[in-house]
Amino acid sequence: MQKLGEFKLPNFFNYPPYFTLQPVRETREKQIQLWKELIIDFCRTQKIFVIALEVDFPLFSNAAIERSLSHEAREAFLSALVSDGRAEWMDKGHRKCLVLWHRIQDWADLIVNFVKENGLEDSVMTVEEIRSGVESRGTELHGIDRTVLMRALKVLEHKGKLAIFKGTSADDEGVKFSV
Amino acid sequence: MRRRPGIGGLQNAAVARDQYRLLGENVAKLRTDLMKEQLATFRSQLEDFARKHKNDIRKNPAFRAQFHEMCAKVGVDPLASNKGFWAELLGIGDFYYELGVQIIEVCLATRPHNGGLISLDDLCKLLGQRRKAVRETISEDDCLRAISKLKVLGSGFEVITVGKRKLVRSVPTELNKDHNEILELAQAQGFVTVDEVQRRLNWSSGRATDALETLLEEGLAMIDDGHRDGKRRYWFPCVSSVSSYVGADTL
Repeated sequence: MQKLGEFKLPNFFNYPPYFTLQPVRETREKQIQLWKELIIDFCRTQKIFVIALEVDFPLFSNAAIERSLSHEAREAFLSALVSDGRAEWMDKGHRKCLVLWHRIQDWADLIVNFVKENGLEDSVMTVEEIRSGVESRGTELHGIDRTVLMRALKVLEHKGKLAIFKGTSADDEGVKFSV
Repeated sequence: MRRRPGIGGLQNAAVARDQYRLLGENVAKLRTDLMKEQLATFRSQLEDFARKHKNDIRKNPAFRAQFHEMCAKVGVDPLASNKGFWAELLGIGDFYYELGVQIIEVCLATRPHNGGLISLDDLCKLLGQRRKAVRETISEDDCLRAISKLKVLGSGFEVITVGKRKLVRSVPTELNKDHNEILELAQAQGFVTVDEVQRRLNWSSGRATDALETLLEEGLAMIDDGHRDGKRRYWFPCVSSVSSYVGADTL
């Protein structure tokens, strides 16, 4: 089986027609389904949050069979993820896509668990500490995309489980938990 | 005998008829008894055989095929009934019913990918993967037997031969001669181009495009526009072995 680093590629990745958007509806649905699963799996294991359509992305071409996805196909697969709620376009031109292998709500739940497990119920942390601090090391929160994290924090703020306050610069926004 | 008129004559005739019938019944009974005896002997022999080789029959596909052949020669179908002594002895009816259900499952699961046409090789491989836990290996012969039992469901399960390959069809698509020829051609590389079809089969371009379009619509083919030469390739998951892997991913 072909591998990308530690990631095991599925076998359809080696079948050339999967790199051409299929014209027949049922076949295309199946094709899109397989690609959606692959993109989500890959991003989750590699901790990739943003896919830029115009930049080389390891999944979008397979040198072994000399095939790569057309722009149209890339957009179709990502759009399918967007309509599933597993991704969001970051710009109107659909050039950048935010991949949410956990939905924002699920990220929010993860944060709450993290807070409880570390006894931080009434503590203060900076946003940067949540992303890269000692406490989050080894958890899924480690290395989380800043945009995603802020969105999840906003959800929790809305529910009154924390308060976000501004620091002097953008890097040190603070969070006061009250779970 | 000359026909005699009168009551006496009629009575005589009736008596004679009764006697003939009695005699006939006796003869028939004698024959049936003899047959029953022979059948009983045969059956006990076959049972002995089956009992003795039970494990071989269950575990060894080649042996199982030969056993079936032997049964067919003497006119016994061990799969005909699940209630007979075969079921009790071997569970062999269950074996094929179970296999039949698994075949349906595999065909349904791979249908979005191959359009309901799967090569017998691939089907066997996938069944093998599903049945790993059971440890009983299965052969193509077993699959064919199980599929022949599925026919009674009328769901269009059928084995078709294209070139050297056997394909199992699980959708009621009618493949005509043109489609079969394309499938046969595609077996070499897994794909064909319109040019290739025209050249190798001596067809007009309309005929080639038409047949390929139909195969595409039926979900039996996939297009590939990614090759360097810029010519569209039509791939057929049912004849390329990759299909087994793609199927396996989704099972």
